[in-house]
Amino acid sequence: MQPQGSMPKLSLPNIRNIIAVASGKGGVGKSTVAANLAIAMAQAGKKVGLLDADIYGPSVPTMMGITGTVDQATTPLPLEKHGLKLMSMGFIVPPTQAVIWRGPMIHRALTQFLTDLDWGELDYMIIDLPPGTGDAQLTLTQTVPLNGAVIVTTPQEVSLIDARKGIEMFRQVRVPIFGIIENMSYFMGEDGKKYSIFGTGGGEKLAKEYQVPFLGALPMDPKVAESGDAGLPIVAKHPESGVSLAYKSLATNIQEELKRATPAGELPRLDL
Amino acid sequence: MTSIQLFPKSLGKKGDEALAISWNDGHESVISWSHIRANCPCATCKEERGKPKDPFRVLKPSEIGPLRPKSISPMGHYAYKILWSDGHDTGIFTLEHLRSLCQCEACTKTSSTTAKP
Repeated sequence: MQPQGSMPKLSLPNIRNIIAVASGKGGVGKSTVAANLAIAMAQAGKKVGLLDADIYGPSVPTMMGITGTVDQATTPLPLEKHGLKLMSMGFIVPPTQAVIWRGPMIHRALTQFLTDLDWGELDYMIIDLPPGTGDAQLTLTQTVPLNGAVIVTTPQEVSLIDARKGIEMFRQVRVPIFGIIENMSYFMGEDGKKYSIFGTGGGEKLAKEYQVPFLGALPMDPKVAESGDAGLPIVAKHPESGVSLAYKSLATNIQEELKRATPAGELPRLDL
Repeated sequence: MTSIQLFPKSLGKKGDEALAISWNDGHESVISWSHIRANCPCATCKEERGKPKDPFRVLKPSEIGPLRPKSISPMGHYAYKILWSDGHDTGIFTLEHLRSLCQCEACTKTSSTTAKP
């Protein structure tokens, strides 16, 4: 018997690996990283799903070029685009409508997204988490068999402060951290020089501090935002660009870390 | 990190009164259910414990009999949730918290010698 309102671990046998993309702070490009990372993995021949767990502010519809809501009577969810299977609250709620929900509703929605939809067989499920350490994070860490999480930060201290909170949360709930990604790390000028707009080395410093791998630095490039807003992430639009190659290398690093990571053991049960 | 992360190898019952936990560091914990409930980490119980005791509080029917766990379920990889016979189920007992509640002779001795007067 399960306690009332308890959250048993979901069984998702068709999904081989589940990776959360998280950050403490909003606006560090977490959704952009999640979307491009998912596409980079799909381009490498993997079956990949992208779940937008940001119920209050979903970004996946815009980034993937899906406008308007989906008529579920005619179009089954998850949607398929750019070689990915996609699910987002933005597919069922119009962009102008606010989702004003308390925690238990977030839990129910995320659980349904994972269990009630036919995701088919996936090599990787990338979960784009909302910023912070709230209900979505708690639901996913308590109920989803996460293999691990990657933390996205920008180089400056104001972002690192919140990234630390994210790391601490995953540590407390014993979800392995595959590593740190530093986004908006530098800008490559037309003169061929690297400009560190937000300072340097923040991501690496954080990785050292917590003894987790530094997975890579992603450059700032106006094309990244342009392609995201146009519904075609840069890895899909310009797969050979410098940024896309950085994403591909990042995807490889994460897959390597996933192989190395010790899976968290299941807690023993007791029938009373 | 060089220290071994605390993890239970198995859970069992010690009669009807206590929970027994075998840990991966070889320690064997025995914790009475009443001690576990008295240290429930949920916000409501914490607040109750912080209040001065009301000697005239009328007990609810569910509080008259001894409280017993009805089920104990893992929460992710880090905690257990217990449903009690009075319906209370909001406490999430992390593994570290459960270990800190151990009432074996060695742990009781350690906690009494380290406790401030």
